[in-house]
Amino acid sequence: MNKKISALLLAGAMILSLAACGSQGSTPSSSSAAPSGETVGLTEAFAESPILVTSGGQSADYQMVGTLMGKVGMEYEIKNLATSADLGAAKTLIIVVGGSSKGLGAAGIDADGELARLEELMTGAKAAGLSIIAMHTGGEARRGDLSDKFIAPIFEKADYAIVVSSGDEDGLMSGICASKGIPMDSIDSISKVATVLPAAFK
Amino acid sequence: MTKKNYISAAICLAVSVAIMISTGMNFLAAREVPLPMEGPTKPEIHMLSEWNPNLKDTNGDTPVYVLNGKEAGGSALILGGTHPNEPSGYMGAITFIETAVIEKGTVYVIPYTNHSAATHNDPGEGNIQYFTIPTQSGERTFRFGSRATNPIDQWPDPDVYVHNPSGQQMSGSETRNINRAYPGVADGNLTERMAYGVAELIRQKDIDITFDLHEASPEYPVINATVAHQRAMTLASEGCINLLLGGIEMSLEQSPTNMHGLTHRELGDYTDTLAILMETANASQGRLRGASGASQAIGGLDKFYVIEEKLDMLAVPFDETGHPIEERVGRHLQGVYDYVDAFNNVEAEEGEQIVFSGVPGYTELFLEADPATLGGAHLGSFLK
Repeated sequence: MNKKISALLLAGAMILSLAACGSQGSTPSSSSAAPSGETVGLTEAFAESPILVTSGGQSADYQMVGTLMGKVGMEYEIKNLATSADLGAAKTLIIVVGGSSKGLGAAGIDADGELARLEELMTGAKAAGLSIIAMHTGGEARRGDLSDKFIAPIFEKADYAIVVSSGDEDGLMSGICASKGIPMDSIDSISKVATVLPAAFK
Repeated sequence: MTKKNYISAAICLAVSVAIMISTGMNFLAAREVPLPMEGPTKPEIHMLSEWNPNLKDTNGDTPVYVLNGKEAGGSALILGGTHPNEPSGYMGAITFIETAVIEKGTVYVIPYTNHSAATHNDPGEGNIQYFTIPTQSGERTFRFGSRATNPIDQWPDPDVYVHNPSGQQMSGSETRNINRAYPGVADGNLTERMAYGVAELIRQKDIDITFDLHEASPEYPVINATVAHQRAMTLASEGCINLLLGGIEMSLEQSPTNMHGLTHRELGDYTDTLAILMETANASQGRLRGASGASQAIGGLDKFYVIEEKLDMLAVPFDETGHPIEERVGRHLQGVYDYVDAFNNVEAEEGEQIVFSGVPGYTELFLEADPATLGGAHLGSFLK
């Protein structure tokens, strides 16, 4: 009898351990997501060139966005570690959000340092009257603890957002945009950046 | 000793000798690594020791297939079998050799970059030694090897592996991992000598773009991914977008500058090549998998990963259809197509393009396949 009770207790402990593992998901749980709301897409062009493109989290998504912009003839400066000193004559700042431990390593910066850089850059951009466009183009693969650190600080200060929908299934980014009144367009693939982004420019 | 004891002893001795002969034959047979057959482009077959003579007559020497184009052009190198327990790497390289028609330029292919690692497996993992698939010429048997150089060829491991020349310290077992040994050492340990041979091949042949084909466990974060040296990021961005447009989920990462020994870091730093590494999902590599077998390693199936997918514990989608070898080889070969196209568009100067055809891509190998033939048979239909 004692053996049976021990076996049952052991089985129960194993099930609890597995459940504990299951809570470490790559996307935040619904309770941690921002409240959902109706987002509104961009209705008229507002942004102007020159454009400065930077990364928010050092994933390579900013380079892919730059490649797409080049394909549709948009001119831009690109600097993954841009600070306010790099704003120059820029009138629009595009921040492509996505955390990458490999990218942070390549850039020689940690997540906290990256957040501090972005804060300083966005404060400088706001003070200089630049428009800020936040983009999240990496989909579900660019969600998780590291990427999520950068989403709220950047999206809350944006004037416009473009999001690949598979990365926003929990409504984190659409929730921020809806609550702050920021126009946001959802696209189903990064390739659609080439059609949506030019429409934001006068 | 009684007569009965003599008989018992003789029986035990005979059984022991039979076991020794059987296992000895199996052990020696593992030294034979099956090579690619000739495809539509007749290859020149060289040995890596031509670029590092210190590999001569060692188990680290490995064939280098040189596929010359009809016209002069740029050059590419495909590294399969960096880790011979990642079969889509070497099967992708073998499929390329057996199907490619090179129109322009030269493509170098090394099916077993760490040849020594292809001559043993990891019995502690319960891994298979071989797998067999039907091909155009009948059933062919391929090796399933190990991540690391055979300890028969390089032993013992140090407690701490110190990478040369960076001085970075790693686990002692990494001393037999060729993807921690670049740029290599001409007269170093066997793994360092192999890595040096690859780097020297690239330098002497002035190879423009290098692909290193890998697999990783479904729970590893950098999967269905490309990692590129910073000089290769422009072409990698363009190629990655083309892969996404073609329906292949692919993320792009820049090679960290402080992670030493890997192809995408050191071949980019110590040669002029544009270094790219690709990863696919291999169900036989993770810690959360079920029992090892060919249906897992080649079929890509594992019922435990299906459960873990539902618990959101994996970095790639995983359902009952798994990730068969056709999908994984298709991803690699489509990557080679699209990154070479991007190289031609953004990097190659006039007359330096690389053009090939005939190699099955993701659509031919996976999307258009009869699901009943996935898991080896459909891939085999492209092999000689």
